[in-house]
Amino acid sequence: MTQPLAAKIFHWVSLVSLFLMITSGLQIYNANPVFGGREGIHIPPILGLGGWLAGGRHWHFATMWIFALNLLWYGFYVLLTRRWRHRYMSSKDVKALLVSQNEKRKNYAWHRLVYTLLIPILLLSIFSGLGMYKPAQFYWIVDSLGGWEALRITHFMAVPITLILGGVHSQLGRKVGGDRLLDSMFWSK
Amino acid sequence: MSQESKQNQSDIELDDDDFVPRRRFLTLAGAGLLTIGFGSVAESLVGGLSEPLNQQVESLIFRPQQPVPEFAVSEIEPNKLIVNTFRFTPAINPETYRLTIDGEVNNPLSLSMGDLQKLPFKSMVIRHVCVEGWAAIVQWGGVRLRDLITIAKPSDQVKYVYFYSADGYYESWDIDSVMHPQTLMAYQKNGQPLETEFGAPLRLASPIKLGYKLSKWVTRIQLTSKLGKKRGYWEDLGYEWYAGL
Repeated sequence: MTQPLAAKIFHWVSLVSLFLMITSGLQIYNANPVFGGREGIHIPPILGLGGWLAGGRHWHFATMWIFALNLLWYGFYVLLTRRWRHRYMSSKDVKALLVSQNEKRKNYAWHRLVYTLLIPILLLSIFSGLGMYKPAQFYWIVDSLGGWEALRITHFMAVPITLILGGVHSQLGRKVGGDRLLDSMFWSK
Repeated sequence: MSQESKQNQSDIELDDDDFVPRRRFLTLAGAGLLTIGFGSVAESLVGGLSEPLNQQVESLIFRPQQPVPEFAVSEIEPNKLIVNTFRFTPAINPETYRLTIDGEVNNPLSLSMGDLQKLPFKSMVIRHVCVEGWAAIVQWGGVRLRDLITIAKPSDQVKYVYFYSADGYYESWDIDSVMHPQTLMAYQKNGQPLETEFGAPLRLASPIKLGYKLSKWVTRIQLTSKLGKKRGYWEDLGYEWYAGL
């Protein structure tokens, strides 16, 4: 089992940049929790990156470039190599989930469903994040999500959703392809 | 240091004792494990590397003369604007208050509140966004800063503007943002005269900068062709300088 180098690079850069985006994002979150404001629910500070608000923002707005550009070049790559046609969730997978009796085929469909779902979630986090970073320039992003509070909630929800989908993705990956699939995505040449 | 001596200062250097020591601030901020070794050292490194790039992109996409769409009066959120003050709330007598405009200008000004209120009035309902993440829709009324700058006749070299406040707070802005049609020196909030804790008699208000750029109790506006070492109270502690929205 082998993966193209491009897929491996994308996967690694996504993993590392997402870790930095989430931890620095939680640091920023704690300055004024989305839920309840200053007296609201704080994230344990140990999960925050950057030490204080300014540090968290520096990490967040530095890593955003790596995170977003990684998704961009990968998007082009997927289009140009036509991987989008057979590497993502399709109607065949839906059918398998609904009618198949084959447990292995079903797991595979779930696997494809979960990693496919991660892509729009990550794109939505960039979209909502851009609206929050530049709400005067991109006022239409704030409006399109229904105002400031809705924007903040949307942007924040990317964290639990990504963590849950990411966790399920790693489990399904092991179920579907075992150590060989894991090795092929992370280490093997 | 008295406000008088600050106003007479012609350079842009301020006393060092104005600062919360960085280390103490980190402790105050309640640092976690990731932050102690990794975060605080890397903070300035990461910021130092990414901020110049981010600032270039920010000023590139900023349209200096493009007004930001405003809100209806019915959309004002009167309870959402939180008072954030770094030290204390100064008491200023509006009768004796003067706003000084100086620096690289051909017509330095010293204006009373009466003088300011005679200038064209501009009202706007905008979103005030704090670096902490909260926001409030507020109505601000006052004088367009660009009107004041025009009267002061700045030299062609002016690129930055410093704002000094009665509580020792200080800020600096790029001239393009200063000249934006929605950057006001405000003396009215939500239809009422500005209250002391929100910056009376005169404060900065604008939809295009984060809240910490919007100084309260402004007593002096200084135009300059170059940025000094000190760029703003929070900026000198590590916040980004441009802070555009």
